[in-house]
Amino acid sequence: MNWQLAWPEIALAVCGMAILIFGVLWKGRSNAFACSMLTAGAFLLAALLVLSQGGGLGYNGLFVVDPFSSYLKLLILAGAALSLILSVDWNEREGFQRFEFPVLMLFSVTGMMVMASASNLMTLYMGLELQSLALYVLAAFNRDDARSSEAGLKYFVLSALASGLLLYGISLCYGFSGTMNFADLAKAAANPAGVSPGLIVGIVFVLVGLAFKISAVPFHMWTPDVYEGAPTPVTLFFATSPKVAAMGLLLRVMVGPFGHLLPQLQSLIVLISIASMVLGALAAIGQTNIKRLMAYSSIGHMGYALIGLAAGTTEGIRGVLIYLVIYVFMTVATFAGIGAMRRNGRTIEKISDLAGLGRNDPMLALILVICMFSLAGIPLLSGFFAKLYIFLAAVQVGMWTLAVIGVLTSVIGAFYYIRVIKVMYFDQPEAPFDRRPASLSFVAVAAGLFTTFFFVFPAPIIGAAQVAAKALLG
Amino acid sequence: MIASIAFYVFAAILLVSAAMVVTARNPVHSVLFLILSFFNAAALFLLAGAEFLAMILVIVYVGAVAVLFLFVVMMLDVNFAELRGGFQRYLPVGATVGAVLFVELALVLGGWQIAPDAGQLRFAPQPPDVHNTAALGRLIYTDYVLLFQIAGLVLMVAMIGAIVLTLRERKTSRHQSIAAQVGRDVRDTLELVNMPLGVGVSEFYRPLVEQPPPLHSDQPVIAHAGGGHGDGGHHAAEKR
Amino acid sequence: MNDFFATTPGYVILTFAQALAILVPLLISVAYATYVERKVLAAIQIRKGPNVVGPFGLWQPFADALKMIMKETTIPSGANRVLFLMAPMLTFGLAMIAWAVIPVNAGWAIADINVGVLYLFAISSLGVYGIIIAGWASNSKYAFMGGLRSAAQMVSYEVSMGFVIVTVLICVGSLNLSDIVLAQSRVWFCIPLFPMFIVFFISALAETNRSPFDLAEGESEIVAGFFVEYSAMTFALFFLGEYANMFLMSALTTILFLGGWLPPLGLPQFGPLWFILKVWFGIFVFIWVRGTFPRYRYDQLMRLGWKVFLPLSLLYLVLTAGALMAFGWLPSVPGT
Repeated sequence: MNWQLAWPEIALAVCGMAILIFGVLWKGRSNAFACSMLTAGAFLLAALLVLSQGGGLGYNGLFVVDPFSSYLKLLILAGAALSLILSVDWNEREGFQRFEFPVLMLFSVTGMMVMASASNLMTLYMGLELQSLALYVLAAFNRDDARSSEAGLKYFVLSALASGLLLYGISLCYGFSGTMNFADLAKAAANPAGVSPGLIVGIVFVLVGLAFKISAVPFHMWTPDVYEGAPTPVTLFFATSPKVAAMGLLLRVMVGPFGHLLPQLQSLIVLISIASMVLGALAAIGQTNIKRLMAYSSIGHMGYALIGLAAGTTEGIRGVLIYLVIYVFMTVATFAGIGAMRRNGRTIEKISDLAGLGRNDPMLALILVICMFSLAGIPLLSGFFAKLYIFLAAVQVGMWTLAVIGVLTSVIGAFYYIRVIKVMYFDQPEAPFDRRPASLSFVAVAAGLFTTFFFVFPAPIIGAAQVAAKALLG
Repeated sequence: MIASIAFYVFAAILLVSAAMVVTARNPVHSVLFLILSFFNAAALFLLAGAEFLAMILVIVYVGAVAVLFLFVVMMLDVNFAELRGGFQRYLPVGATVGAVLFVELALVLGGWQIAPDAGQLRFAPQPPDVHNTAALGRLIYTDYVLLFQIAGLVLMVAMIGAIVLTLRERKTSRHQSIAAQVGRDVRDTLELVNMPLGVGVSEFYRPLVEQPPPLHSDQPVIAHAGGGHGDGGHHAAEKR
Repeated sequence: MNDFFATTPGYVILTFAQALAILVPLLISVAYATYVERKVLAAIQIRKGPNVVGPFGLWQPFADALKMIMKETTIPSGANRVLFLMAPMLTFGLAMIAWAVIPVNAGWAIADINVGVLYLFAISSLGVYGIIIAGWASNSKYAFMGGLRSAAQMVSYEVSMGFVIVTVLICVGSLNLSDIVLAQSRVWFCIPLFPMFIVFFISALAETNRSPFDLAEGESEIVAGFFVEYSAMTFALFFLGEYANMFLMSALTTILFLGGWLPPLGLPQFGPLWFILKVWFGIFVFIWVRGTFPRYRYDQLMRLGWKVFLPLSLLYLVLTAGALMAFGWLPSVPGT
């Protein structure tokens, strides 16, 4: 039994418990800050462990480590670390700086890393539950705020329903194939005598459960409310790491064990993808709250990413992986901007509140402009390349409709992104925001630079995505 | 024969009580029916030879989880009739979804083939010389140790979550310091004095803790006695 | 004769007879436990105790029983009749059925099942229902408060009790009660696991709602807690249930820590005599504690359960497992 394969997860979990004990015992005034820093250190340690790992299958086939899982894990850790940095000052200003916040984030990340390495339906489920349970609590972390509590409760109830569907699907898969192991499931799915309908129904339920987690239409209903209600750093966390983990899991499940059935399931994925893109583009137009806008934006982006899965080729998978990296960084930069929206010590979230930012805080406005253009997919910014690789993969396998619809919805989407820019520069200016903390500027600049200058040196990421995609398709 | 009669009896009670959980008017009755159905499920486990699972089901679900359910349901004043108000409104949609799922399931189960040796496996899930407690333990702690540990983490996160969301440190509550109580010495609280006859306590008694000076100095000193005994003594002395 | 007992009706009759053979002595013991309790408390408080009915007051339990049976069972007007009457029967019935697995002597158990200790644990954890249902069904504030207190208390102490049982189990390697007793033929577990023995006994006091953990009853604060509305036979059933539970917990302590039916110090064995003596000793300690300690306050009770017993039992469990592992004393379990 090759138990060392789970070193990064074990290290994270142990660090989490140690930090928890530290936070309980050390009652200093800044123990939340200290725990956040320790958690960031734990993320770094886990990242190093991930990088230093070989590959292989361990724990009786429950757990797999390959370039694909390592790629996802690094991305998850990066997203979580950036959200964490953003959360430190935010929580303090909002008055709920508590050491449990980073600890919950850490355990959630542990769950996501298990998801990335799942090679058995049970591991998948356990990782998913660990991840979601911590997320429910994080969403409701500002417990004295009605909206935050509502967000937590809503997410909990709907997510529990989705988990129920997922479990039901898993039980059908198990019942009709006799195994929960991905390798054996792949054999069952490749059965030349035909696949039993029970297995197909099971797979569809699994697909539904995972689609809920990436908030693809028609399982997106929770997203806007949760994004709006949760504290901003938590919203950022929701928008990055869990999406990466769930999308990775979706790729692994759909390409790995059920790869032989992918052609049959393709129409379903195409449908979800188109619905997500269209809804993401249209529903965002009427939004006045910037966090709700970002919620619809993320629904749309998941729709684009699903195009790559629908294509089902190495190029498609690679496209999805590149898309995820770029999506994470532009989302981080945007949310850093949203995090700065605070006037006289109170958080503000309306798009109209951004008015005059171009004059009051040109640097932040510039970063937001870059983000909005990138999210819209304007050439030479990273968001453009993300979409380019995806559409190319779709065109290569002859899915012209999908690519055309993608381009059309991008154009519609550009409208509301650019509207935000218009508000910042051309509307009647309002009072300036409060001084933004240094951590926020750091996150905004780092993610903004990545978004801007991705085109200069894209090779390492594209290369890594290529390796990961190859590993997945085997 | 007895086993199959028992099976049908337990299964029937299980189904009836499960239905009653949903339909009972009084939420407390619902929880009690839930407990009854847990019991019957445990009995079915027993019949299938899974005695460990049966006992754990009773200990965990009936002995702990359902107690807390009952606790909460009894404490909450939830108007369940009101909650069910939306039932009529959502009935058509719900029924449609249910019907679609049912048809799907029927299709799925149509494709179900019972494995030829399933009959032998039923009711004898393990070789006779291995207790199923031992067999379960062997699997959980070796083959599935990863999942077991993750399950532990899930429970811990749930615990952290419950504490984070509900614990409020109250500034006003007074905590008991056991160490201080136990560490107290006789000398800290008790003073033994030899009382001469005919002398009041107030003349004799010196309080351990400094008392605030009396507000009106012209009044006879009452305050420094600090307790009922001193008071009485003082008056006795005055009278004399 | 043996052939007859192998058939289905014969088996049923045999089991029935065995059940009677356990329950009749148990009920008589329960009746006399009330007498013993009053006598012992009287001795502790330098009084005489019951001494009027019969020689040394020995017929007192029967007089009490007669009184209870003759009185009227009153049911409060707002009460939930079915549950109100069900609660005492539940308490009493649970205290009885637990005895099905108790081995009073080598091979003397009605059902010598593999998971006997889990069965006992399960049954003892159900005892809370009688109390919480009684508290709710009485439709009275005091009764309800008693029920809630009891629910929280029993759930809390079950946790550490579970860990204590696990500690014993890893020393035995079996969940069968007879095996647990036989594993103590060299040394009773109360010696190597002394802290666990203490934790278990105190938790047993809490599980049976006995003083100093009788907050569910708390006659000086919530009059009589969960059974404030009960009278006559329903009250008697609660009363019997409480004493039967004491016997059960005492028997469990005997089996887990005091070597069951095994004689001490190499003395000869007379059937279940030693078992009975040990159980009665446990009952005596129960009463002794009641005569000695004041009632815990609610927060102290919770503190003791969660902040003292739980960490202590967990720590000792880990230590025990470590010691067994380090010295290679782990019991062998068939099939692993």
